[in-house]
Amino acid sequence: MTPALEISHLRKVYKSGTIAVEDVSLTIQPGDFFGFLGPNGAGKSTTIHCVTGISNPTSGTIKIFGVDAVADYRNARKLVGLSPQEFNVDPFANARNIIDWMGGYFGMRASERKKRIDMLIERFDLVQHASKPFRELSGGLKRRVILARAMVNDPKLLILDEPTAGVDVELRMDLWRYLQELNRDGTTILLTSHYLEEIERLCRNIAIVNKGRIVRNGPKEEFFTEPGGLERAYLAATGKAADHAAVAAR
Amino acid sequence: MTINWIGLWTMIRREIQRLARVPIQAVIAPLISALLFIFIFGFVVGGRIKNFGSYSYLEFVLPGVVMMNIVNAAFLQATSQIYFQRFQKSIEEILVSPLSYVEMIAGTISIVILRSVFTAIGIMLIGMAFGAVHMHSLPEFLFWVILVSMIFGFLGIIVALWAKTFEQLNVLVVFFIQPLSMVGGVFNTVAMLPPWLRWMAFGNPFFYFINGLRHAMIGFNEAPTAIGATLTLTLAAVLGSIVWRLYAIGWGLRE
Repeated sequence: MTPALEISHLRKVYKSGTIAVEDVSLTIQPGDFFGFLGPNGAGKSTTIHCVTGISNPTSGTIKIFGVDAVADYRNARKLVGLSPQEFNVDPFANARNIIDWMGGYFGMRASERKKRIDMLIERFDLVQHASKPFRELSGGLKRRVILARAMVNDPKLLILDEPTAGVDVELRMDLWRYLQELNRDGTTILLTSHYLEEIERLCRNIAIVNKGRIVRNGPKEEFFTEPGGLERAYLAATGKAADHAAVAAR
Repeated sequence: MTINWIGLWTMIRREIQRLARVPIQAVIAPLISALLFIFIFGFVVGGRIKNFGSYSYLEFVLPGVVMMNIVNAAFLQATSQIYFQRFQKSIEEILVSPLSYVEMIAGTISIVILRSVFTAIGIMLIGMAFGAVHMHSLPEFLFWVILVSMIFGFLGIIVALWAKTFEQLNVLVVFFIQPLSMVGGVFNTVAMLPPWLRWMAFGNPFFYFINGLRHAMIGFNEAPTAIGATLTLTLAAVLGSIVWRLYAIGWGLRE
């Protein structure tokens, strides 16, 4: 079966000389719910940026459902939806326009867009806020708009970069339910998060990245059979276990 | 590969919606500035200057005023659109979409041309109020408006991709566009210059833009239009290729 995402030997070096990603290889099967964990600056967002076209990979290959994300970028982009960590929108535009423009860029017809946007606005409880400028929305509402925008093209691969950072418990629970529904319906999901409980609850496979390299990768069960579970495995993989133990001993 | 017409149209209507939020800057300001130019240089000062052949000074000046505003509108549109999208990071919405690099550039240049054409129409309407509008050749007029808009649209994109600060957006306007357009023959003929200065006019691309539009409007010509047209087409092709290359490698666009 063609993997939903296949990254081989990805390397990304910024102009400043900073090596953000070093030899990352990763395969995500269709229908998977994949957790991508790592400390701040580990290379999670850079990897995602290389997959989605926001960054140029320095070397390595990226294939989305078998389509090369660099050589055949147009067809590769059609398959992906991205909810980035930062709010990358025109702050003066309203929620409906922000979602509508993205649907337009993906070539969706007006009638198809309207139907999809109405559904997403309803689904993310944005009906009362759809006409308000983005900058006037609360942090949680902004996050909902970004999530709705990522889903407007009904992507086969949905990439969510810390989608629940700074949102209230209610939205988090609601989003979890929706993501599980989408995944059940066949959408492959790549999720980065700093909330281990979120990864634990949703994902079937997990990779941990540290200093630009994948340091652990495997099915969720592998992490839970170890003493201390995912938290311990995460701290060990990122080299923080000793610091953590020292703090705990104090 | 088929063209993503809906994506292209989305780029255009999105920018129209943005411009609708800043009507004074986008529409009113260039028209007021053109009105003042026409009134002072064409009507007040021009009233004391002898005619150019069968045309009044105002009729002679108007094409230059139209061209200056086309250049400004095209450059400002391209720089503000691309730089603000980079600044807000909303350019990422386009980067993650299935638009080709050519479509991304075409979407930006289409709105540049639209804004320039509307600015030109607005100034022509003001000129009509002063009885100064003539149209010697509409196809020629459209050629100059569209090609010059494209040139300054491409230049605007390059500057917007290069700029790290708002200050840098003005560098080309202050040191290149304004001085060269002022000495490019908006207010005078080459014959009015001292002979030792005339080479400067013929070496200035703005002279050919203004001369071309003036020929399209009133049929007055100081240099072969073919030379200007070739220079303009070449410039548009070279700058267009540079912009395409910059998009393909992601210079200033992708990290």
